[in-house]
Amino acid sequence: MARSRDRTEDFKDTVRSIALSLGYNESKTAAILASFIMHKPRQRSTFTKAALRTLESIKTLEQFILKHRKDYVDPHRTTEQERDSIEHEVSVFIKTCKEQIDILKNRIHDEDTSGKSKAWLTMRSDNSHVDIVAHKHGVVLILSEKLHSITSQFDQLRAIRFQDAVNKAMPRRKMHQVTNSNSPNLLDTVQETETKMVEMSALNHLMATHVLQQTQQIELLYEQAVEATKNVEMGNKEISQAVQRNSSSRTFLLLFLFVLTFSILFLDWYN
Amino acid sequence: MALNLRQKQTSCIIRMLNLNQPLNSSGNVDEEVYKILVYDKFCQNILSPLIHVKELRKYGVTLYFLIDKERRPVPDVPAVYFVQSTKSNIQRIVADASASLYESFHLNFSSSIPRPLLEDLASGTLKTESIQRISKVHDQYLEFITLEDSMFSLAQKSCYVQLNDPSAGDRDIEEIVEKIVSGLFCVLATLAVVPIIRCPRGGPAEMVASALDLRLRDHIISKNNLFTEGGNLGSSFQRPILCIFDRNFELSVGIQHDFRYRPLVHDVLGLKLNKLTVQGEKGAPKSYEMDNSDPFWMANGSLEFPEVAVEIETQLNKYKKDVDEVNKRTGGQDGADFDSQDLIGNTKHLMNAVNSLPELTERKKIIDKHTNIATVLLGEIKERSLDSYAKKENDMLAKGSIDRNEILSVLRGKGSKVDKLRFAIIYLLSLETTPHSDLEAVEAALRESEVDTCAFQYVKKIKSLNVSLASVNSASRSNIVDWAEKLYGQSIGAVTAGMKNLLSSDRQLALTRTVDALMEGKPNPEIESYLIFDPRAPKSNSGASSHLKGPFKEAIVFMIGGGNYMEYGSLQELAHQQPAKHVIYGTTEVLTGAEFVEQLTLLGQKMGLGGSAASLSH
Repeated sequence: MARSRDRTEDFKDTVRSIALSLGYNESKTAAILASFIMHKPRQRSTFTKAALRTLESIKTLEQFILKHRKDYVDPHRTTEQERDSIEHEVSVFIKTCKEQIDILKNRIHDEDTSGKSKAWLTMRSDNSHVDIVAHKHGVVLILSEKLHSITSQFDQLRAIRFQDAVNKAMPRRKMHQVTNSNSPNLLDTVQETETKMVEMSALNHLMATHVLQQTQQIELLYEQAVEATKNVEMGNKEISQAVQRNSSSRTFLLLFLFVLTFSILFLDWYN
Repeated sequence: MALNLRQKQTSCIIRMLNLNQPLNSSGNVDEEVYKILVYDKFCQNILSPLIHVKELRKYGVTLYFLIDKERRPVPDVPAVYFVQSTKSNIQRIVADASASLYESFHLNFSSSIPRPLLEDLASGTLKTESIQRISKVHDQYLEFITLEDSMFSLAQKSCYVQLNDPSAGDRDIEEIVEKIVSGLFCVLATLAVVPIIRCPRGGPAEMVASALDLRLRDHIISKNNLFTEGGNLGSSFQRPILCIFDRNFELSVGIQHDFRYRPLVHDVLGLKLNKLTVQGEKGAPKSYEMDNSDPFWMANGSLEFPEVAVEIETQLNKYKKDVDEVNKRTGGQDGADFDSQDLIGNTKHLMNAVNSLPELTERKKIIDKHTNIATVLLGEIKERSLDSYAKKENDMLAKGSIDRNEILSVLRGKGSKVDKLRFAIIYLLSLETTPHSDLEAVEAALRESEVDTCAFQYVKKIKSLNVSLASVNSASRSNIVDWAEKLYGQSIGAVTAGMKNLLSSDRQLALTRTVDALMEGKPNPEIESYLIFDPRAPKSNSGASSHLKGPFKEAIVFMIGGGNYMEYGSLQELAHQQPAKHVIYGTTEVLTGAEFVEQLTLLGQKMGLGGSAASLSH
């Protein structure tokens, strides 16, 4: 694959030569160059730490599904009960991840409002938080989209499972149709199995749907936050334009009144 | 080794978004997962045909900004900068670093950052004591825009004007050649190939070819070069051929009207960076994307317009049939197939229907989109009678002659001013010699229609100066036709020429013919005089070694001065002939006929050939 050229070494050399030319002494230059190699331990905000933890859980969920994938799909390796238990575990896992994402989402707003109250006290404009808020919404959206993609993958596995089950039920039905007149009990059990199948296949798409709803809600919030980053700039422009217009219109008004007063005085003097 | 430029550029960008780390690094929590992308206008144009905004999120990009926009701090997130290396961008980066907008800065320059600017960056960050924020500096060599899998553009405006400007100094021309060479170098670096370069003698093509050869040689010698082709020792059948041409080689292609779908959409509706805006049916402007994700566009872009309309019809009928079938199976209508007792069968059909729903909606969306586009196109075609322009121009170029009354009637008929001007210029270019009276009549007709004849005068001038404007005519007439004309006069010549046009599907462009000959490598009088450069060969050339002329399977064709989709389509046709070849087409900028004629007008004005001072076609 095509490579890119890493110029960081060149940059460091340039820095060294310029530092010398600017008269920095040896220790200072060494300190600057060292900061390149050894980065300060990164201080992450609590939000980012929480987001990374959620990402960890989603990754664990993905690995779990991968591990049990063969067992789940292949009808001969596991019993119905084992498959049901796998499904149950997965749905519990998905639920926890969803809750974590919800907590993160609500936390954005909490931090936002608390930030606003502080800014009010210090009498500074609130613009500085807009990008951070949009970024946090973006993080939550990415998490939600990842969860949704994993859930849809799992739904597809479910579809395969039920397809097999449905196919198994069909030939059985044909056999029972022959004997239906003689054994009403058998007919009842068959009908029961049928209705159960219908229910389960109807539930087929439900798992991904809830997560999809959450993703769409979060996407809406994200789009709004990104809009806000643009609107603040536009709002500033509008304000400065309005101020300009205001001052120019004031000038005209004053001039107008001035001219009128002098014309009245002139007419008065003339008469 | 099929050269898919789009894929390679996309993978380079994805690698950049992953902070230039090797792609298979295992996911540990310490890695930087979320990042912010900052780009400038030029790099935004590079990114937009390749990656959609939604896909950015897949790589962990939460926000993306233009570098000039006022941005606010986001404390603990790394930022990926993808910008051109210009002074203002460097100043902006230094300002951002000193304001500590982001946690760490990963700087990626679209081509190599020159030493002085690197020093500016270093001194700026040293003085503001923000140097610890700069994490990495990379040269990406991605300074070109890939529009299709095998088509790229360098987005360098007004190259043709600057190169053909009579008042241009040596310094100016050198600068332009430098820029073109740098863009071509980026393309070759992304493809990671060192091609054999061929170009016609004289003109900008030779200058660009020799400068590029020099640059490649210097680069290969230096350590850490980007072109390590492991394994084979550069045997010719692995290396592609790079053919460089100048627009003056075949001027008519940039001007003529074409009637195929893709060139029509570009020329008439203004396709830019694969995005198109048309008036929707309800009056509101709609914007569409025409790229890989649209299967109809990919499959039918090179068909003539009437066939496209038929194709849309067919797709619509197929779609309706499929929808009816789905409805029948699931009892949407009272179809005989629905059996209320067959519960399990119904559930299966229901499941299938639900699964096929998104696919059907997609198809409908695409059909609607192309119906809309085709309707708007049809309106324009009818209004300007573009079909007759395209046909008559093609005839003129193929036969090399036209009836005088015909051309005058066209110039007095329908069509915008630019259409008429283009037609007149094609008339100039297709005829070997134009009788003076005819020329005067044509110019009079143009003036009647209030067309600014600057461009016409310019082409007349350079034709009279005998600049080689490509022997378009000699292409389509075979020896038989020549002989027939000489012996039996005009009428039979016309008949046999007509027959030849029936036999050969399309008149082949001179460019396509030449590229074919170059790729074949057989001795051919047309390409005898072409120069050949091999950056890998030692300087002391022991005659052109035979393997350099062998048949090539892959070619990169570069047109200096402006290209369009018609040339691209023609080259793709060549590539799909047997045996299958692979051709990549590139140009300094993609121009519609009207835009190119504007550049000719500018040149005419610079030469002082402008007729009336009024009516600048803006």
